[in-house]
Amino acid sequence: MSASYSAVGWNRQKKMYDWLLFGFCVSYFIIFIGLVAIFNPDYTFETVLLRSTSTLAVLLLHIILSIGPLTRINKKFLPLLYNRRHLGVTMFTIAFVHGAFGILQFHSQGNVNPVVSLFTSNTHFGSLADFPFQALGFFALIIFFLMAITSHDFWLHNLSPRVWKTLHMCVYVAYFLIIMHVMLGVIQFETNPVFVIIIMIGAFTLIALHIYAGIKEVKKDKEKFDLKKDGFVIVCHVNDIEEDRAKMFCIDKERIAVYKTGGKLFAVHNVCKHQNGPLGEGKVIDGCITCPWHGYQYLPNNGQSPPPFKEKVSTYDVKIEMGNVWVNPMPYPEGTERKGAIIEMRN
Amino acid sequence: MIKPLRKRHLQIWIALSVLLPVGIISAWLVVPQQVKDRLLQPKTTSEFPILIKNVKQRNPFIAIRSNADTSALQLEWSMRTELTYPSALIYQVSDSNKQIEDGNIIGRIDVRGTYYFALKKDSAVKDFHFIVYDIIHHKIIQRINF
Repeated sequence: MSASYSAVGWNRQKKMYDWLLFGFCVSYFIIFIGLVAIFNPDYTFETVLLRSTSTLAVLLLHIILSIGPLTRINKKFLPLLYNRRHLGVTMFTIAFVHGAFGILQFHSQGNVNPVVSLFTSNTHFGSLADFPFQALGFFALIIFFLMAITSHDFWLHNLSPRVWKTLHMCVYVAYFLIIMHVMLGVIQFETNPVFVIIIMIGAFTLIALHIYAGIKEVKKDKEKFDLKKDGFVIVCHVNDIEEDRAKMFCIDKERIAVYKTGGKLFAVHNVCKHQNGPLGEGKVIDGCITCPWHGYQYLPNNGQSPPPFKEKVSTYDVKIEMGNVWVNPMPYPEGTERKGAIIEMRN
Repeated sequence: MIKPLRKRHLQIWIALSVLLPVGIISAWLVVPQQVKDRLLQPKTTSEFPILIKNVKQRNPFIAIRSNADTSALQLEWSMRTELTYPSALIYQVSDSNKQIEDGNIIGRIDVRGTYYFALKKDSAVKDFHFIVYDIIHHKIIQRINF
């Protein structure tokens, strides 16, 4: 969290994350080139560059797309989410090397512009077997490029979260394009079925993870809170919430996070202003509710980020009766001070 | 994540759970059963044992070989460095002044490595003439006569 923009808000965690990522990519290239040299000594530089970058980019894309559902299934994966944008930019860079070199290798020797050649050298759009698969990769690369250059918070704030999120959800279109780029490209020439099996495992794993996590969230959203009194809804027992942690409840339309901290309960809107992260899955650090995704912080009593930050979330009335926690799902305007509910020892 | 976004994500993945398998399986079904370039660049067997004739140069190293009973000929074409053209065709012509229109296609070369191509056996032929031709730019790359 930062009051002003900088190219990269480095901290210890981000540095560790990026070093691990760098080490992984370098190790991958070394292992890939080593294996190719052993099993295919006649390899060329062009082949090994195209194939190592393409396979690494596809692998990273699968990792990136699996982080979201994994964090919803198990909180232990949250550290992976923290710097996912760097992972995305790295994946784009590697994919760009593959794409640029591919165009250079296959389209720069002709007498037309290489990009024009990309779209005109094969026009069998009506044939699945001969489909111009390179164009699919090109369009996916354009999407990754737009995502990479707008990955900074500057663009999140200036494009508006709605536009930014819509743009970044185009990653699913790009993923489909990439899978078809592989299937209609290299798979048409490689006779070994292991490549198809790897692609299938990757795609089906992602589908299973996303649908499982999505159904889990839908169940949480559909949980009924029938016992109502004076606009308040009973949600749980006070002992069900850990100290400096929260429980989330979807009442009526949106989720509310009920935090226990400093002998009181506070209720705030569950959605972080930064990237819609789940505040209820975070914890209280230095007296502030801290978003588990990127560390944005809010004071529990008024939902405001501590000065000089300006983010605010809605607050709610919460009370305790006979040890039961009651929440009024009518939100107060963002940043409204609430007293919270005092937890008495007999509760 | 807000509720509409959660719903949108789930809808997208339900759609992808149909589209991805359909796409993958459809593409898999149209994979050619044979290598597309088989006619021009057959996966030849190992080199013939008898070396009949070869060029002096090392790169590309070119030789004419025959089998044990000399009933069949083979062209050995070994490239130790990359070809600087995307791909090239080898034509055999009857003498050093002939053009590709008068010759026969022997095969295609592209990446570094050793290629073996079958040659028609003609006992009258003592000298061999080949043209390496850039099929994209339509120009002769090299003539080999030996």
